Amino acid sequence: MTAAQALPLLVVLPLTGAALLVAAGRWLPRYAADAFGCAVAAATAALACLLLAARSGSAPVEWVGGRRPVHGSGVGISLVGDRAGLGLAALVGVLVVAALVHSWRFFDEPPSGQNGAFPALVLIFQAGMGGFTLTGDLFNAFVFFELMGVISYALTGYRVEEARAVQGALTFGFLNSVGGYATLLGIGLLYARTGELGFAQIGARLDARPGGGDALVTGALVLVATGLLVKAAAVPFHFWLPDAHTVAPSPVCMLLSGVMVQLGLYGVARVYWTVFAGPGGVPEQAVQRALLALGVLTAVTGALLCWLQRHIKRLLAFSTIAHTGLFLVALSALTPDAVSGVALYLLAHAGVKAALFAGAGVLVSRFGSVDERELHGRGRGIWGVAAVFGLGGLALAGLPPFGTALGKALCEESAGPAASVLFVAVSAVTGGAVLRVTGGVFLGLGGRGAPADGGRAARAGREQQAEETSGAGEEPETGVRLTRVPDTMLGSAAALLAGGLAVGCVPALWRAVGETAGAFTDHAGYAASVLGTTATGPVLSAPPHWSVPGVGLGLLSVVLALAAAAGGVRAAGGRRPRWSLPLRRLHSGHVGDYVACAMVGIALFALLLW
Amino acid sequence: MSPRTRLWVLACGVAGVAALLAVTVWRLPPFGGARHPYGERAVEAALASRVANAVASVNFDQRAFDTLGEQAILFGSVLGTVVVLRQTRDERRVEPEPAGVAGPVRRYALIALPVVLLTGVYVVAHGQLSPGGGFQGGVVAATGLHLLYVAVDYRALKRVRSVHLFTLADAAGEAGYLLLGTGGLLAGTAYLTDVLPLGTFGTLASGGTVPLLNAAIGVEVAAAVVVLLARFLDQAIEIVTSGEEGDRAPGTDGAPGTGGARPAGGTGRADGADGPHRTGRGGAG
Repeated sequence: MTAAQALPLLVVLPLTGAALLVAAGRWLPRYAADAFGCAVAAATAALACLLLAARSGSAPVEWVGGRRPVHGSGVGISLVGDRAGLGLAALVGVLVVAALVHSWRFFDEPPSGQNGAFPALVLIFQAGMGGFTLTGDLFNAFVFFELMGVISYALTGYRVEEARAVQGALTFGFLNSVGGYATLLGIGLLYARTGELGFAQIGARLDARPGGGDALVTGALVLVATGLLVKAAAVPFHFWLPDAHTVAPSPVCMLLSGVMVQLGLYGVARVYWTVFAGPGGVPEQAVQRALLALGVLTAVTGALLCWLQRHIKRLLAFSTIAHTGLFLVALSALTPDAVSGVALYLLAHAGVKAALFAGAGVLVSRFGSVDERELHGRGRGIWGVAAVFGLGGLALAGLPPFGTALGKALCEESAGPAASVLFVAVSAVTGGAVLRVTGGVFLGLGGRGAPADGGRAARAGREQQAEETSGAGEEPETGVRLTRVPDTMLGSAAALLAGGLAVGCVPALWRAVGETAGAFTDHAGYAASVLGTTATGPVLSAPPHWSVPGVGLGLLSVVLALAAAAGGVRAAGGRRPRWSLPLRRLHSGHVGDYVACAMVGIALFALLLW
Repeated sequence: MSPRTRLWVLACGVAGVAALLAVTVWRLPPFGGARHPYGERAVEAALASRVANAVASVNFDQRAFDTLGEQAILFGSVLGTVVVLRQTRDERRVEPEPAGVAGPVRRYALIALPVVLLTGVYVVAHGQLSPGGGFQGGVVAATGLHLLYVAVDYRALKRVRSVHLFTLADAAGEAGYLLLGTGGLLAGTAYLTDVLPLGTFGTLASGGTVPLLNAAIGVEVAAAVVVLLARFLDQAIEIVTSGEEGDRAPGTDGAPGTGGARPAGGTGRADGADGPHRTGRGGAG
């Protein structure tokens, strides 16, 4: 079997595993179902890694169903095993395995006769994400976008005993459906204009049209990107993310924040470079302006709200939004160097953020709470989890040699000095918030602050309390409270954190990412490799590497983060600033509010692109 | 946001999106043209692989990988529903009670039942020849089975509807589609390639793997709809919340949540201090 022939297996393998788990769910004991799920996910991840390592020359392209185009016209769907796609598929596999190991015998109550329901759902999720990364076809990408969506709603609402979980999943479903409609409309526009659905084919037809792009092409980019930006949680499309992360089980948060959100960004970049980056597409300046504006808005909003949270999972969720903003700002340079920076940042962020959510999962199972104030000082003694939070916070802030620091430094280089201020500030605030939690919960530093359920706090700031998500009174996801931290939970967190560290320490990876970025941003090269024509190779730039200013700025943001954490610990329990009230009120949990904001977001995005 | 602010924000957003759509749609090719670049290629490819129904050829041959994703969405949705509508710790099951059905309804439904089932199978089997196929036929067949609920009662439906067997069929249909695709790999070509003899155009045995993929989808869809409805019907009819619902004073039992539960023994049982109090999950009560 050739590498190209094996590409569909990255989707088929986990789906088959899920079918077997569902069929045998009645007879399989719990541990066997969990082990089988892990094995299938690991096999798929291994296949992705193997294909990634075995690659030589141009990317393998598979026309599913043998429908290779003849004389430039065809009807089939292509799968493209370029390094970006395969690399993300491998990342998905690694995170899925980590999440399944973390959730080993996790939930107390599988549906009767369906012992394998959770691993089966996660496997289908893996198949959806794998298909999304590999497909070379716009409509096929939409199918897998929907598959990811459907599974993530079910996973978010997994703990149906709590009304909040159902509410969070519903909000998630509503907003993603709004985005999905927009994307489908955009696909319709492109299809009507070109009669094609493949990325490369649409791009080629647009480029062949005299006069370049017009309003239809720009409108199509707005609409197609809207759905992907909802998934990527760019402000003001982000409202589903904090609500979903607040209620979803921790292993699910690991997958959502670790890789699914970032796949939305990947989708935007992939669609832009393959379809719209040619002479028949959308002018570069317009795209740069739109991505930069959305990115700054997202990064600032995410960082502010991250700092203001006391619900630890919600805090981490807003930190994901802040980092999405940073990725968008970096991406807005639209250069290969920016893409390699974002790619390294994204890889390391996936490891660190998933490890932090794994740590939060331990807190839920152990204490039945993820409220920073209620847990104050109670984390003493579980040093493993304390280390995960401490190192995770430092990594988010950008401590060399974590991969996050390398990615951040590269992004700063390509985005310019003004953006560097934003990068330093945002990573300091998000890292500082995590370090503040570490200091309070695990070291018992600072004051305890107002008790979560105290009448005094309620009287002191009834207005504020009404807006606050405390995180106390969580049902332990394991059913009963754990007395000690299971090795599986701690082990997966430590491995993920080590992965985040490795991204910053392996020069071979940097070289590979550099080459990947060159090919990823090569509009003509992609079309040539898919359609079998010839093109000049991508412009090769120097592989990414550490630089002195990058390390300096990383250390600066770590110092700032530590200072912020120290300040935050001292001021623990203080009232949250009044100016933040409107911003927090906007996150009301009301689906109507969220949809209204998303509609304004589409209009805003269109204005920026015009 | 207050309702008024929300409406204003929404109005601004909708106005912007409407303007965007107006500008873009203006540039679309004129409606109802005689030529379509993709349509012509697709019909040509359908005829070449001897599939009379070009839509089936697009769904199960030319773009069969899309359908692979679609069937995974269905499979995942059903699994998700099973998970979300499971019986939780604070819920228990009560036996549904027999219900009376008007004579004409019973007679009509019982006559229609085999006809509908047969129609479903027909629509699945002729997917490559005429409009229809696995998705449509599967839904028709599953609907036919539920005529038993209309004609008799929930207990009769439960007797023939083993959720376990239908779950197995759902998984088998899904796996069947995936495995049929590997035929191409075994033959040394691409996944989902049509490697079977193409047969005679316009007959049941035409189109190679198209009818087989249709059959796999038919089995999956029929079973999936049965399992899906089973979950919803269980919630409406059998599963009740114990705990605080049961502690309520008799007679205050709210009607919401019983919607659609025909053999609803709970509502109106004023004596039922220990009687089942029916509320749907998260009922509006």
